[in-house]
Amino acid sequence: MRYQPVMGLEIHCEMLTNSKVFCSCQNEFGGGENTRVCPRCSGMPGTLPLLNKGAVKLAAKAGFATNCTVNNYSAFDRKNYFYPDLPKAYQITQFESPICTDGYIDVVGGKRIRINRIHIEEDAGKLVHDDYEGVSMADYNRCGVPLIEIVTEPDFRSVEEVQDFVTQIAQRMKYAGVCDARMEQGSLRVDVNISLMPIGSDKFGTRTEIKNLNSVKSIGRAIEYEIKRQADILDDGGEVVQETRRYNDSQDNTKSLRSKVEAHDYRYFPEPDIPPVVFTDEEIEEIRKEMPELPQERFLRYTEGYKIPQEDAKLIIAQKEFSDFYDEAVKITPEYKLIANLMLGEISHQLNDREMDITAVTFTPANMAKIAEMAAGGVVSKGSAKDIIIIMFDKGGEPEAIAKDNGFIMDNDTSGLDEIIDKVLIEQADAVEKYKNGNDKLFGFIMGQAIKAAGKGANPALIKEALASKLK
Amino acid sequence: MTLTELRKKLDSHEIGAVELAQDYLKKIKERDAVINSYITVCEEEAIEMAKKAQGVIDRGEAKPLTGIPVSVKDNICTDGIRTTCASRMLEDFVPVYDATAVAKLKAENYVMLGKTNMDEFAMGGSSQTSYFGGPTNPYNTDCVTGGSSGGAAASVAAGLCAAALGSDTGGSVRQPSAFCGVTGLKPTYGTVSRWGLIAFASSLDQIGVVANSAEDTAYVLNTIYGYDENDATTSQKSMGDYTSMVGEDISKLKIGVPKEFFEGTDDEVREAVLKAADYYKHLGCEIVECSLPSLKYAVAAYYLISSAEAASNLSRFDGIKYGYRSNVGEDYNELIKNTRREGFGNEVKHRIMLGNYALCSGYYDAYYNNARRIRTQIRNEYSAIFEKCDVILTPTAPTTAYKIGEQENDPVKMYTADICTVTVNIAGLPAISTTCGYDKNGMPIGMSLTGKAFDEKTIVAVCDKFEKDFDRKECAL
Amino acid sequence: MFDEKLTAHMAELSKLSFTPEELTAMTKDMTDIIALMDTVCDFSPEIKPYALDAVDYEELRKDEYQDSYSTEKILENTENVKNNSFVVPKVV
Repeated sequence: MRYQPVMGLEIHCEMLTNSKVFCSCQNEFGGGENTRVCPRCSGMPGTLPLLNKGAVKLAAKAGFATNCTVNNYSAFDRKNYFYPDLPKAYQITQFESPICTDGYIDVVGGKRIRINRIHIEEDAGKLVHDDYEGVSMADYNRCGVPLIEIVTEPDFRSVEEVQDFVTQIAQRMKYAGVCDARMEQGSLRVDVNISLMPIGSDKFGTRTEIKNLNSVKSIGRAIEYEIKRQADILDDGGEVVQETRRYNDSQDNTKSLRSKVEAHDYRYFPEPDIPPVVFTDEEIEEIRKEMPELPQERFLRYTEGYKIPQEDAKLIIAQKEFSDFYDEAVKITPEYKLIANLMLGEISHQLNDREMDITAVTFTPANMAKIAEMAAGGVVSKGSAKDIIIIMFDKGGEPEAIAKDNGFIMDNDTSGLDEIIDKVLIEQADAVEKYKNGNDKLFGFIMGQAIKAAGKGANPALIKEALASKLK
Repeated sequence: MTLTELRKKLDSHEIGAVELAQDYLKKIKERDAVINSYITVCEEEAIEMAKKAQGVIDRGEAKPLTGIPVSVKDNICTDGIRTTCASRMLEDFVPVYDATAVAKLKAENYVMLGKTNMDEFAMGGSSQTSYFGGPTNPYNTDCVTGGSSGGAAASVAAGLCAAALGSDTGGSVRQPSAFCGVTGLKPTYGTVSRWGLIAFASSLDQIGVVANSAEDTAYVLNTIYGYDENDATTSQKSMGDYTSMVGEDISKLKIGVPKEFFEGTDDEVREAVLKAADYYKHLGCEIVECSLPSLKYAVAAYYLISSAEAASNLSRFDGIKYGYRSNVGEDYNELIKNTRREGFGNEVKHRIMLGNYALCSGYYDAYYNNARRIRTQIRNEYSAIFEKCDVILTPTAPTTAYKIGEQENDPVKMYTADICTVTVNIAGLPAISTTCGYDKNGMPIGMSLTGKAFDEKTIVAVCDKFEKDFDRKECAL
Repeated sequence: MFDEKLTAHMAELSKLSFTPEELTAMTKDMTDIIALMDTVCDFSPEIKPYALDAVDYEELRKDEYQDSYSTEKILENTENVKNNSFVVPKVV
């Protein structure tokens, strides 16, 4: 039988606050075991949580970035379960009254994916397994790192929709300053709920939840595997078991996380240690005003304001830092298309070759602007502009000095050009003859020879002009 | 001697802080083998603190509690001094920080004599669930002290400290104070920081004071109250200067007597409390008959809310990070179950079971949420009463102290005995208990005065007036 | 209504283990206790469940970090330490 997959997402994002969500330990990635821990986040008896205003603010921003309503009233609850990475044996989260509700994002094909809610919660610690001794070691540095959980409705019907949504969430959270969205480091984690129903049906099947998806690519692979697994079960007349499954990237399969059926009952109840939070309309408006430009807004600015082709604009905004670099550069020299071309061309090329990130380059957007200015103004050729970029990658330096030192500055003096061109026309008499007889393609060849003869500093535009008039 | 008098004697060098501490430590040695009010006596620390206090006094920099010997209930964290909650689970637990209330006392250079006995994790009304054996009542050592702050009340009654910090979740300061013939003040929820108070039921717990008089309890509260940035549930509304109304004319006040509180009480208790009402009437106060119709739901609502919170609060005790750890357990699940099996006493297990039942899906709305609704209702009913009167007079407990071993094995009977005290915690109000008579066996009878939220001043003054005209009997130790 | 199966389920949620005799005794006690708790079930549900008074966003803790506790202090109350971490038996 053919089946329609139905999917919903739960996305956890670690928020970029200075301190943890319920204590004043620093919120940072990595570090020595149990070095960013206090009595509060290690759940010592007698301690109480203290809600971080910054976390509430970023959660509200996440709401604005996803078209949610930021609620005037939100409250915290306890989710009770025992696990050694959770020192209090309950996670403080928002169950009944989340901070944001009713949002959406439009994905490929113009499909609208509804967001049910965004709530604030605390992250758990980390367990390192020592297989040799058969024990685990608990490190609580991550305990209390502020998270938001974005919960969608089961609106996804294809892998592409899911992947586009996750990509957009990662970008939006990054742009809004909520989360650095590094899936490989676990700062953005995606769980997929997935079920199948016969095509044409509107009754959802039993769903499974897949955890441990650490890239957009593995989300696609995991979903495809799981669709096939469930379809095989259903085709054999079996029943899908509602369970949590873990995706194994290297084996490309999903495995059940629990060997025996465990009755989960989280016994949620209102957190008595944290008063509910009230946001006035003015406070919500204040935060909304602080919202930075989001990727979809930037996309419109590039395509409609700067007339950048849509595909190029999409590539530029894909990484916020890359796009920020571009914005800084065009602010100085408004050569929108030229800079876009250079950045998507030579710069991207070099970054790829060197396995680097735009954040690691030593030159500045101002340098980039300078190169564009020189290329646009005919001071250097576009080809030299690329060469300057390569030199900056290799050795650094100022674009103008590089251009001078390497003889890239174009000679706009036409005196002597006539002689050089005449000499080339004699040398290439054959080609000239053929050109005159209608072989238009040879103009480029003759032009190349002329540039070569004129040297690096020659202005190709002027050579072209002179050559054209002579060959008329 | 009141704390004010003691202060004068210390400041005038009539007594030295070190001698005073030694004097109390000596009495503890003599009497506490029988009373068992302390789990941990801090002899060396107390002398050190007293020396420091004397230095402060000598420099003329004494604060109200400088050099005053105080006991602290063993569920209030003391940095570097073990804090057991009277449980095997925390027998060797040494906190790495001070509770805010303790830090405030320390800042005044008080003298901590030790940590007092209690019901395990403050769950009980007799203090007999202590892992270290229960304390005995200084008025009759065959009788219970009440609980859960039984050690605190007994330590004050037996003269083993000048004042005591206790905690009150459903009557745990007031009821043992009544049973031991002393005064116990439970402040408005949010008045004293809960930072460092090992949680039983977070929405009901409040640190309180046991002392020899209403004025003394207020005197100590003056030091420990106040908004604390470490506890988001502390209030900015606490006014302070809780003794400021002592000695003022109270004859214009209206005293409410809610009839339901007198329905299941012993005759002797009812008579003694009604006699106190008469006393106020003779002063000129208006006695207002009133009603708290939802009292019939209060015990169940209290046990559902407190046990639900307790089940969650006590889940952290798994043997991994601190506290008792079982030797038996191949895997995490086994270890944690054995640790909790061996580390918790029977009553604590009952509460955890009840709490999880109340929160369980399928039961949550019928039990836990209904208890929350009743909580709203009880608060509304109190508000209605306070439109007509200034304070409410009730018995503190339906009985006087009973014989050790008499009730502890019948949980339903134990729970029902909390009827007179739990509504105050449910509504978050302040209340004070003092002795208003003695039963035929000479055991103290307690009455309680409940005030409007953050109006401790009035109940302290009303209580103080009664105490000054009442002939309180010393216990026969 | 409180049978041993329900007691066993509650014990599992509570992470408590009981011997068969203890389970029987606990079941009896829970039956009695729940009978007392049943008082709340006939309460009129028309009223809003109690919640703490809310605080304004402005009053929340400022997002500033401070020094954490030393690792030694954090680990001081247990002997089961390895690599500055709490040792946990394997989770099945």
